[in-house]
Amino acid sequence: MMKVITGFLIVLTACAVTAAAQGKPDFSGTWKLSGTTPPNYPGSAGWGVPSPTLVVKQTSTEVTIQAGQYGPNPMSVVYKLDGSDNIWEAPSVTQSGSTATVKWRTKARWDGNKLILFTWNTALNQMRDVMTMSNGALSIQRGTEQPGPSTNATLTYNR
Amino acid sequence: MRRRSLSPVTFFIVITGLFVVSPTASLQQRNGSISVKGGVGDITGEYEIPDANWPQWAHPYPKPGFIWGSQGGVFAESPDRVYLANRGELKLPDKIPNGFPGNWGFFNQMAATQPIANMVNCLVVVDRNGKLIEAWNQWDKLFEWGRGPHQVYISPYDPERHVWVVDDMRHVIYRFTHDGKQLVQTLGMLDEFGENDDLTRFRRPTMIDWLPDGTFFVADGYGNTRVVKFDKTGKPLLKWGSRGTGPGQFNTPHGVAVGGSPPRVFVSDRGNRRIQVFDTDGKFLEEWPGIAPHSMLMSADEHVWAVDSLTDRIVKFDLTGHVEFSFGQFGTRPGYTWAPHQITADSDGNLYLSEVFGGRTQKYRPKPNADPTKLVWGRALMPVGNARTN
Repeated sequence: MMKVITGFLIVLTACAVTAAAQGKPDFSGTWKLSGTTPPNYPGSAGWGVPSPTLVVKQTSTEVTIQAGQYGPNPMSVVYKLDGSDNIWEAPSVTQSGSTATVKWRTKARWDGNKLILFTWNTALNQMRDVMTMSNGALSIQRGTEQPGPSTNATLTYNR
Repeated sequence: MRRRSLSPVTFFIVITGLFVVSPTASLQQRNGSISVKGGVGDITGEYEIPDANWPQWAHPYPKPGFIWGSQGGVFAESPDRVYLANRGELKLPDKIPNGFPGNWGFFNQMAATQPIANMVNCLVVVDRNGKLIEAWNQWDKLFEWGRGPHQVYISPYDPERHVWVVDDMRHVIYRFTHDGKQLVQTLGMLDEFGENDDLTRFRRPTMIDWLPDGTFFVADGYGNTRVVKFDKTGKPLLKWGSRGTGPGQFNTPHGVAVGGSPPRVFVSDRGNRRIQVFDTDGKFLEEWPGIAPHSMLMSADEHVWAVDSLTDRIVKFDLTGHVEFSFGQFGTRPGYTWAPHQITADSDGNLYLSEVFGGRTQKYRPKPNADPTKLVWGRALMPVGNARTN
């Protein structure tokens, strides 16, 4: 009897997790930038610059974004959806314009139907993207931090 | 002896130069009097030229091949207990130039947090000779994903002398026990910034100051452009300010000082090049234009000392905004400064300035027979264990 109850609970939990995952928006696809608020938002000194194209791949455990928003060279960046850190090293352009091996860190979490992505690197760059989907359009509320003033913008993408 | 007279053109150049080149002169002109106080070109005021080898611990270098980077903060609890906030160590060039004095500013590369700073020895305590007495390396990891400690303080009114450290890039303020062994409080949420109306999260906070009852004010800062008022337990009470140029608006409120009777809150609105004055509930009272302080200090004699990011001048204001004295000049030689970021003074009258671009902290000893009104006097700290009854 105990085994039956345990099995039932496992199935119930699995169903709940699947349902929850299915309730979240799927941002996968290739997205084209259609506008920013403020207009022509430039990012911050080469960081967080709106990428003309975003390629998003989403699974139940992670989101991968290939874009040009992480510096002068496009990168493919993985965000784990369980809230844990993803840390790696890569040659990157620093604030002083030189290239150095930089440590990167990302994490992500859901807030209802919003997906919040955090990106840091040891070249003193930070970015927070809050992604939402509405009527087939992708909206990203972006905040950037560098040694100077913070920046805010809303980016709109369409497929 | 024949007195030489100036030609009209020379006279014009000299007079123009006084007001264009000298921040002291321009500050004094703004306040309606051209006095001789301070003196044009007065580099160290009533202080001797600092010893380039202070602190001893930092010389020759933290470890072979590395050097101190940006010095965010310094706080003198006493002449023999001085806290230094170091925003990481930088790799020295493979070939060190002749005559290298030992500080990053020599390389003329501005922000001393680049290209990559190693977050080690971020919080240390030195004695009067600059000898290391404590290194709080157990907390270095707190600063790994930011740019290190922004500033460091002890509330004058705290009998337990907790040590407060602001980390702007990670959006938090830490409160440690006096010995650094315990982190007893974190204000804000690590790595997550909030918006202007969010009282629980900062966005790049910069500085703190206190009222005698423990109420404190946080300049917040690069991102949220506001001031947040907390009660003595750290409960947020209210906020004021938004991004802009009008009265009560800010562009990088980077410093805050509290004092006067009734108490007022003096905010360095650095990006708007002014100091704004408020009551303790955020009501705008007045502004003092023409200065963009990195940091400020309310002195024991109830004056605001401001370290100007535009001129590297150290300026003494009375509480109505009149300039009483100033000194200092940009440079990397001993006594000059490059972006003095925190100002503090001990009970012996020694002044300390940490430099974020110069990459050093200098200790200025008073000259013999120095005019005490031209020295910075920090507020006395409450004796340890002397709990207030009010």
